[in-house]
Amino acid sequence: MTELLRFGVLGGLLGLDGTAVGQFMMSRPLVAGWLSGWAAGAPGLGITIGAILELFLLVSFPTGGARFPEGSTAAVVAVGVAVPFDGSGAVAASVAMGLVWGEVGGWSVTMQRRVNSRLVPTGVASRTGSLGRAHLLAIVTDFLRGAVVSMVGVALGRAGLGVVDARWPVDPSVSTGVLYVGAAVSLGILLHDLGGFRRRRILFVLGLAFGIVGARFL
Amino acid sequence: MSHDTRPRGGFGMLMRSLLIQGAWNYRTMLGSGFAFALLPALKRLYGNDPNALARAIERHSEHFNAHPYLAPIALGAIARLESDQVDVETIRRFRTAVRGPLGGLGDTLVWATWLPLVAVCSLVLYWFGVPGWGVVLAFVLVYNVGHLGLRVWGLWLGLDAGRDVGARLTAVDLGSWARRLQGPLVIGLGVLCGAVLSAPGGLSSIGPAWSALAAVAFVLGLVGGHRAWRPAAMATVGAIAFIGLWGILS
Repeated sequence: MTELLRFGVLGGLLGLDGTAVGQFMMSRPLVAGWLSGWAAGAPGLGITIGAILELFLLVSFPTGGARFPEGSTAAVVAVGVAVPFDGSGAVAASVAMGLVWGEVGGWSVTMQRRVNSRLVPTGVASRTGSLGRAHLLAIVTDFLRGAVVSMVGVALGRAGLGVVDARWPVDPSVSTGVLYVGAAVSLGILLHDLGGFRRRRILFVLGLAFGIVGARFL
Repeated sequence: MSHDTRPRGGFGMLMRSLLIQGAWNYRTMLGSGFAFALLPALKRLYGNDPNALARAIERHSEHFNAHPYLAPIALGAIARLESDQVDVETIRRFRTAVRGPLGGLGDTLVWATWLPLVAVCSLVLYWFGVPGWGVVLAFVLVYNVGHLGLRVWGLWLGLDAGRDVGARLTAVDLGSWARRLQGPLVIGLGVLCGAVLSAPGGLSSIGPAWSALAAVAFVLGLVGGHRAWRPAAMATVGAIAFIGLWGILS
């Protein structure tokens, strides 16, 4: 229960960073994953999961009123789910849970913003004190939203992974392969956003060559 | 606004601008957050007249939207207009005029360029074997130098330029900064793809079939753009769920 609460607090704080407070991008999966792993005593697992989720969510940003998967919830839940398990499918299954729960987090942000519409004062009510109180209340409820969504996600994910972990039928490399293939779509989307392959082919291929050589020999 | 009074109100607005999205909602969007962040300046101007202060808060709580990092430009400019005692209707028109450009410009510069650039470079560090804490530290430090720099510069620009902020922004041409950063981002993306492909534990170590599948998936994203994201994520989840179910049933 204490561990669940820890992930809840982390999910609440990082969720705030993503939408309401600061936006220092501590809520990006890469950072949130490592922080969650560090909080649970497994920073290596945290950064592994965070890096995979970051690949998926490279093209997902908190733009205005758009509905987007919540990267912090995805990472906190994925790491929280994976920590107690060491089976061959633990990372893949927890990343999948993170992707699903990131969408749940995104939906909860939309709901929170609807609630905020009622919290913010209008007309003559918008005086100094009531404006500050409404702002604080919106931030506190947003924290609670992130905390509850993260705790429920971790609890459900652990229950689910507890059933399949020991019976995972394939090699870890196959599970990882599935994740990389899914994440490759996001990398393609990013190049699409930057003008497409035809327009950017020289720079992209140069980078690709350096990446292939660099990752092997550096 | 006289120069000797600018820093105190400015610092308060800068700190509060970090909470500008605290009560983001579908009715006024950033409106109430904007008034909340502007309060230090408004209190300095109308502190002795509670009714005038309330009316100013009410005016600035109206619908407004901008990129959160560029909102300080509008905050500074409007604080300057209020302090210059520009009429209410002009300030309202100014607010309406700046919200679109500050939103679009911020999305292009920050969300579509700066954030992916720093994230891609950090992922490259990870794939090149830099320890996790180093990757995270590099991401947080580099990203926030740009982030906080933009907020501080924007507020200073707004306070300094007032109603001329549009002309000053045109002269700076933030859009060209986004275009300049796109080249390094494309190179970084290429390096990342190469690293995921060939690093120890990457796709090539799993087998050539997985590399080929990933190449097909990359092309799907390249052709389909953002429409391809959700189906791809759900297909990944579906494939993992299928493997899990297969394990339970077999």
